[in-house]
Amino acid sequence: MSRCVLASFCIIAAFPTAATAQQPSAPTHSMQGAVRVVDVRGRAVEVTTGVGMALRIVRLQVPADVRVTAAGAALALSQLAPGDIVRVSYGGKPGGYLAYTIERVGRMATGLEGTP
Amino acid sequence: MNRRHRRLAGWGVVLVLAAGSAACRRPAQPGDPLPGLSKVERARFDSGRVAFENVFTPGTGLGPLFNADGCAECHEEPVTGGAGDEIERHAAAFHATPPTGARPCDELVALGGPVFQQRVTPALRAAVGIDSEPVPPEATAIAGRSSPDIFGFGLLDAVPDSEILARSDPDDRDRDGISGRPNRFFDGRLGRFGRKALVPTLREFNDGATVAEQGVTNPTAPDEGTFGGRPFPPETDPTPEPEISRETIDLVDFFVRLLAPPAPLRLNGQTRHGRAAFDSIGCAACHVPALHTADGPILALRHRTVAAYTDLLLHDMGPELADICLANATPSEFRTEPLMGVRLMTRFLHDGRATTLEQAIELHNGEAARSRDRFRTLTAEDRAALVAFLKTL
Repeated sequence: MSRCVLASFCIIAAFPTAATAQQPSAPTHSMQGAVRVVDVRGRAVEVTTGVGMALRIVRLQVPADVRVTAAGAALALSQLAPGDIVRVSYGGKPGGYLAYTIERVGRMATGLEGTP
Repeated sequence: MNRRHRRLAGWGVVLVLAAGSAACRRPAQPGDPLPGLSKVERARFDSGRVAFENVFTPGTGLGPLFNADGCAECHEEPVTGGAGDEIERHAAAFHATPPTGARPCDELVALGGPVFQQRVTPALRAAVGIDSEPVPPEATAIAGRSSPDIFGFGLLDAVPDSEILARSDPDDRDRDGISGRPNRFFDGRLGRFGRKALVPTLREFNDGATVAEQGVTNPTAPDEGTFGGRPFPPETDPTPEPEISRETIDLVDFFVRLLAPPAPLRLNGQTRHGRAAFDSIGCAACHVPALHTADGPILALRHRTVAAYTDLLLHDMGPELADICLANATPSEFRTEPLMGVRLMTRFLHDGRATTLEQAIELHNGEAARSRDRFRTLTAEDRAALVAFLKTL
């Protein structure tokens, strides 16, 4: 077997492992918070959340196949806006977090949809 | 007397004794638990006080950034759970016309806000050379925040959202000049705790406070955060997260939740007159004298009337008091401060700038301007009576 063929085998064998390391197979976390930033070009959103006065920003990568919805209807990522309240399922990946689903459930100014 | 009559007489004696006991019960003093706790609850309350009074060190989780080394450092006067003389520092950026793609309020969370801690551990000082968390230049306002007493906060937590929202009148449809509106946390739930009514529940307020005030992580808030948006150097935070257990934070929460509001003092002729003046000049429109708790698992909190003197809503207090924004609250909007226990306070308003109740009233503006102006037109005797009434709460 030539060195070239061996190298090809190694690349093919290693590729799925590398892909798996990049992306967890299922969401491990969920949260509800307010959209702070929508980065359409970078396919990312930042969500403000936290506990009491200990607030946090969670930055999420949003792959193109992630389902973004509002009241059951599909939304483009660009239709999310700062101040939208979103429910997100996500998981960790090296260097950050990856969104699995994003559902818009209200607006900061008006509260959750369907509640007073 | 037959058996039935004897039984009825027996029940009568029990009822009379129970009523007498309730009537003779010592009024709640600062630091007392709510009446009616079971022995188990009372023991848990006492254990919670010990946990609340714990003093942290860097070796037990304090910092790297912090404002206090324990809950009781700021909630201490006249007893544990009372007010403190510390003024902490909050900052945010408010843009009435926000840049494209932004909310009007930026709580500066990505840069360490909105609570910017004023103390650091020796390890953090040695590693990065700071004495407090720096407030970024993006801030448009820096606010002082005094430490209020927390007596009766469990009762405020037990007031149902519906009672708060029923008083909301954001567009002043009743044209009384008062337009309270709710604040909301970032997940959309109604807020009620904190000077801007950001935090929905007492539990979250307590859980968040161990991190924001002491730098002590817990299972609900296990993230140490950042300093100015940068991660802490590993050597400055050697204690593994969470730095306190679920059991400990549960005890702290139980203690805070069951602290009784100090019983209002008995009214006399002057203070009764002052209460009438309080009502007649419109103070009670926001400082609502009584709220009511809902059903719940703890008997002492269930279906109680709370002499809270707040509506837990946001009101515009005018430009002189304005400082930071927080979620939906604009810089000039503040939650109506509860007045239960106000007689124990020595500094007033959200940043402690007033040293007398008269000063605090004089500093009211915005939606409260009409009531303040009416206070000014009262006779000296009536003003004194109103202040005397406040000193019974």
